[in-house]
Amino acid sequence: MRSTRQPGRPKAGRQPGALEQEVLAVLAAAGEPLTPAQVQAALGDGLAYTTVMTALSRLHAKGTVSRRRAGRAFAYGWLDAPTLAARRMHRLLDAGDDRAAVLARFVAELGPEDGRLLEDLFADAPDGAT
Amino acid sequence: MSLHLAMLLPFAVAALFGVVVRPLARALPPAQAVRMVSGIGLVIAVATGFVVASAAFTFVAQYSALGRVGDWSAGSLRRVDPMSPAVGTLATLAVMACAATSGFVLVRYVRALVTSLRATRRLGPGTHGLVVIDDARADAFTLPGVTGRVVVSTAMLRALPPAERRALLAHEASHLRHRHHVFLLITEISAAANPMLRPALDAVRLGVERWADEDAAADIGDRRMVARALALASRAAAQPVDDARYALRMNARTFGPRARALLAPPPRPRRWVAAALAAMAVVTAASSLVVAVGTESRFDRATAVTMADHD
Repeated sequence: MRSTRQPGRPKAGRQPGALEQEVLAVLAAAGEPLTPAQVQAALGDGLAYTTVMTALSRLHAKGTVSRRRAGRAFAYGWLDAPTLAARRMHRLLDAGDDRAAVLARFVAELGPEDGRLLEDLFADAPDGAT
Repeated sequence: MSLHLAMLLPFAVAALFGVVVRPLARALPPAQAVRMVSGIGLVIAVATGFVVASAAFTFVAQYSALGRVGDWSAGSLRRVDPMSPAVGTLATLAVMACAATSGFVLVRYVRALVTSLRATRRLGPGTHGLVVIDDARADAFTLPGVTGRVVVSTAMLRALPPAERRALLAHEASHLRHRHHVFLLITEISAAANPMLRPALDAVRLGVERWADEDAAADIGDRRMVARALALASRAAAQPVDDARYALRMNARTFGPRARALLAPPPRPRRWVAAALAAMAVVTAASSLVVAVGTESRFDRATAVTMADHD
């Protein structure tokens, strides 16, 4: 296909933060953890490996994506909203001094609807998990 | 300029603006078109609203004890410059309708904004404002607000190849960055206050989408790629969702004009088009000033007559 890129135009570029968004989109679309090389290939824009790596590290540092070892490299995975929220809760709980007290207070302050939901989730959990 | 001419002129301009706004807006770069059309639309809406309100006030003052707040009497005002009851009643009703419809639009916007803010809080900060939701329906939109969010579903991401996905993200990011919902709100209120300005709302609706398209094309450096992203996204989002009024979505309704504009060279700034639009704002603003001065002098004369009667 004929490209409509015109010479003399200001060189195309990314707005600040756009690359992190694109990396996140690649991971979300993949539906499984990807290595930086796979992300680089999926972006398909001739980006340097280190550039992709930097974006992935930033996302991981912010807790937006998961990271686990896959052979010699790391594999990064998209976290959906419930998983992300659960991780944030864990982080809050870990930051508190008295984990049990914080958790008890949290459960006590749940509305009736959330309370029922919590009971339902415990009921669904396999034996020994609760 | 006579008072009556000054009262009619803003309406003549509003009618002319309504006829020419869509083609003129399309001839300009969309960012300039949106800014000008929303701004000038507001000036015209305020001017026509002010003219109708002045007429209504004069009419009401002629037939009521409103004179107690000033120094004129209803009778003397009637003698100085009689206004026909038909025109007066029409103006009074129009003012009430104006206030009601624009108030309704404002309330609806505030409610949409509250819904949007709640959704924004629930979605969390996102990645530079982007939140990906796991959903089998292809969808992409921008939630308005102080910070706002771009929301894209996994199905939409999977429907697009990498470069087109980049174009979609750049398009939505432009909506967020330039607060396009504010231009929409301004124009929607103007069109609610003066129905002659409805075409301006169409122009701004198309204009903000074109603006985001042009931004995406500049980021990607390939206009055709953005047009293809548009085609793929429109096809993927088979069932358009119309729940959130101010959520800016990739939609199929504006697809044709947007795709054609992207396949053509980018619009250049045209000084005479911008000047023609600006002239309309100047004319309406000037004639409403004349109306203000004229109405005041009408009341001054009535006051003088009232004083003379008392002597």
